[in-house]
Amino acid sequence: MTGIIIRDASRKFGSVQAVDHVDLTVAEGEFFTLLGPSGCGKTTLLRMIAGFCELDSGEICFGDRRIDRLPAHVRDIGMVFQNYAVFPNLTVAGNVGYGLKPRRVPADEAARRVDEALALVQLSGFGERKPHQLSGGQLQRVAIARALVIRPQVLLFDEPLSNLDARLRVSMRGEIRALQKSLGITAIYVTHDQEEAMSVSDRIALMNAGRLEQIGVPAGIYRQPASRFAAEFMGTTNLLQARQLGLAAPVWVSLRPEALRFADDAPAGWPRLAATVARVEMLGPISRFDVTLANGTVLRMATLDAPDRAVAVGDAVTVAYEHARLTVLP
Amino acid sequence: MIAHQQRLPFAIAALGLLFLGVFLLWPLFNVFGASVLDSEGQSFTLANYGKMLSRPFYRAAIVNTLGIGAAATAITTGLAVPLAFSLARLPIPGKGAILALAAMPLVLPSFVSAYAIVLLLGNSGIVTQWLRGIGLDIGSIYGAVGIVLVYTLTLYPYVLLPTVAAFKAVDVSMEEAAQGLGSSPARTVRTVILPIVLPAILAGGLLVFIETLENFGVPFVLAEDIPIFAVEAFKLFIGETAPNPASAGVLATLLILTTVLVLLVQRHFLSSRRFATNTRQTPPLIPVGAGLRIGATVYCWSIVLLALVPFFAIVVLSFLEFRGPVLHGNFSLANFTTLFGRDTRPLANTLMFASAAAICTTLVGVPVGYVVTRYRAGIATVLDVVATLPFAVAGTVLAIGFVVSFNTGPVILTGGPLILVLAYTVRKIPFAVRSASAIVHQIDLSLEEASVSLGRSPFQTFLRIVVPLMMGGIVSGVVLTWVTVASELSATVVLYSGNWRTMTVVMFQALEGGGGGIATAAASTLIVVTLIPVALLYRLVRRYELGS
Repeated sequence: MTGIIIRDASRKFGSVQAVDHVDLTVAEGEFFTLLGPSGCGKTTLLRMIAGFCELDSGEICFGDRRIDRLPAHVRDIGMVFQNYAVFPNLTVAGNVGYGLKPRRVPADEAARRVDEALALVQLSGFGERKPHQLSGGQLQRVAIARALVIRPQVLLFDEPLSNLDARLRVSMRGEIRALQKSLGITAIYVTHDQEEAMSVSDRIALMNAGRLEQIGVPAGIYRQPASRFAAEFMGTTNLLQARQLGLAAPVWVSLRPEALRFADDAPAGWPRLAATVARVEMLGPISRFDVTLANGTVLRMATLDAPDRAVAVGDAVTVAYEHARLTVLP
Repeated sequence: MIAHQQRLPFAIAALGLLFLGVFLLWPLFNVFGASVLDSEGQSFTLANYGKMLSRPFYRAAIVNTLGIGAAATAITTGLAVPLAFSLARLPIPGKGAILALAAMPLVLPSFVSAYAIVLLLGNSGIVTQWLRGIGLDIGSIYGAVGIVLVYTLTLYPYVLLPTVAAFKAVDVSMEEAAQGLGSSPARTVRTVILPIVLPAILAGGLLVFIETLENFGVPFVLAEDIPIFAVEAFKLFIGETAPNPASAGVLATLLILTTVLVLLVQRHFLSSRRFATNTRQTPPLIPVGAGLRIGATVYCWSIVLLALVPFFAIVVLSFLEFRGPVLHGNFSLANFTTLFGRDTRPLANTLMFASAAAICTTLVGVPVGYVVTRYRAGIATVLDVVATLPFAVAGTVLAIGFVVSFNTGPVILTGGPLILVLAYTVRKIPFAVRSASAIVHQIDLSLEEASVSLGRSPFQTFLRIVVPLMMGGIVSGVVLTWVTVASELSATVVLYSGNWRTMTVVMFQALEGGGGGIATAAASTLIVVTLIPVALLYRLVRRYELGS
């Protein structure tokens, strides 16, 4: 188990600065996520750690051992790929045991560890099957077992859930987090899905255009975004000039939809605004509303479902917001 | 410094270039050198070109070769495109059988077909005599007519097979869109479907054209007294009077330049006409009336069977009695006993050379195909171009280069078996590289990365993951190389020596000497030797497909 230190890592593809002077420290045993839109450099950074992408400058260390000049096959990494990358010519057991041979694990111990790893991902008894007999979720479990069985210093996940359907994604991310915590292996996880990132991570690095936009614990980035990009990427928000809410300061602010309520449901101290309902969207557990203020500003708000409340488009309403949840952006 | 994940491909590319440098570029350079040196071999001159081009005989060779090539290309395309459309879109019985039979001329030796045409339709041919008996004279089959006929019968699959695939790949929603906009079916075919399949048709036509430029056996059998490039280069070089490397070099260089020019024109033309269609399903059959359906069925079966008649005829004729070149109607095994009673070494040589060349071609072609697909930079790009080059070099020309290069100097190979194996290997490398490259395209890169990240070096990954996943394609490639080498003639006739004659040489010599019996027996043997591995491969593929 090792921490990962990235110092001043850069990489250019043609004229595109894919990774732009990134400094990052991941603690031992931490579940760390690189989050960002496609093309932000998160995958390139992950592939630099894995050894599939050269650095133009900078260095990467596992603990105090520098690894960025080492060939990929001696870096001692367990990697899980987006499209599973389960070898179709080998059995499930053959796949899981694939990385044990170069580590010179004796055959009987290897067999035992393969069984353990399969049990860990709930695939006991699947060892002799061929990959084409397995479902997508099972294939990804094989890939995870294969990465765990070698007891790597570092686990890398490259959008491992994006090929699975929505329900399976939710249950698998819970399993991945639980496995990582029980084994205590430092993990770096790449995704473009902010909800997934918030669900699994100890800390998140939000990336944009090759740079680190913000690093922090999930709640911190969500509640105190450091930039307009961070505010918008971490979830739906109202990005406003403060004066649009009738405030004097000439600054940009972010106000999450759930920080707004209808005046009847709001504590007395919250600032109130007169508005007209422009749109109602019922999503089941929550309802979303767009309301238009007198000055023309459209605010998005979200509330828990309330069967006794009747709000229709065109209604004149009073809304209130929690001032403490107004984040001032640079 | 070379990045660590680039070391293996760099090493493969360097070795590949070294091999092709010694056994392709160096011989070609010497052929070119012979054509631009004066008679003392000292100073540079273009006089050889002037001398050759001023002689009407060689100017006629250029015109004949290009004219025959163009005619054969036009006719094969004209026949193959409707055939392809029928097989892709019309309800025709026995499609699987038609396609399997249609692929056979690709592996059968074309000069055998040419020889069969002579035996059937030549001056004293069986059909000719029978027709004369009922008062019909079909005229001479020798010269351009016969050559074009044989090219048409043996080369049409080059157009047919890619065109069938292209017709099947047309996205049916495009047709529906055209018809939804009010286009008639005929107009839809003309304005929507044909433009989509045109690149495939042109690519196939180009293969036909280049094959005709390089073919030696068919014109050797049928040209009689009209001059053809590849044959004249051979005659100049082997020369019954005095060998003339300078003049042979001129013809060889002109032949290569023509082929390269054709390739470049095609590439330029196709570069702006590529259409990507993402087909979800093969387009449905078009319902047609009984008349059209019967017509199309007869058309398809006729072409496919007609192309195989010469081969069938040769096998039958090889069991009849010959006296000299004259045929008698009695069943006899004499042709085979004469052929093998004299010497069984040619058959052994053919089998041995084909096996050795198939192994060498695979060992070079698969790694090279892998590297040119996975690494599109620097040395790999150069390798890609050089590995495609043999495609533009006629067997005769490469063989002349081998003799000029390896007859003296540091490496002497002439007179032995190795020179044949090397020449075959170089000739087949473009096909091995193309097919390997096509398979590597299908293998997800992350499989290799997964293997490497689990601790296997790139080399181990190549052996443990890439090669097993390519195995089906590799086996097919080995078989196809094997059968095409077994019936190779154009390089063999230049390079063979004494003990190292092959079946094709035996047949070639029997043709020159008028030994019709031995020639048919040798041709039959070649047909069997070619078809057995192909049939085995076909069964293997079928079983594999059914099994999985």
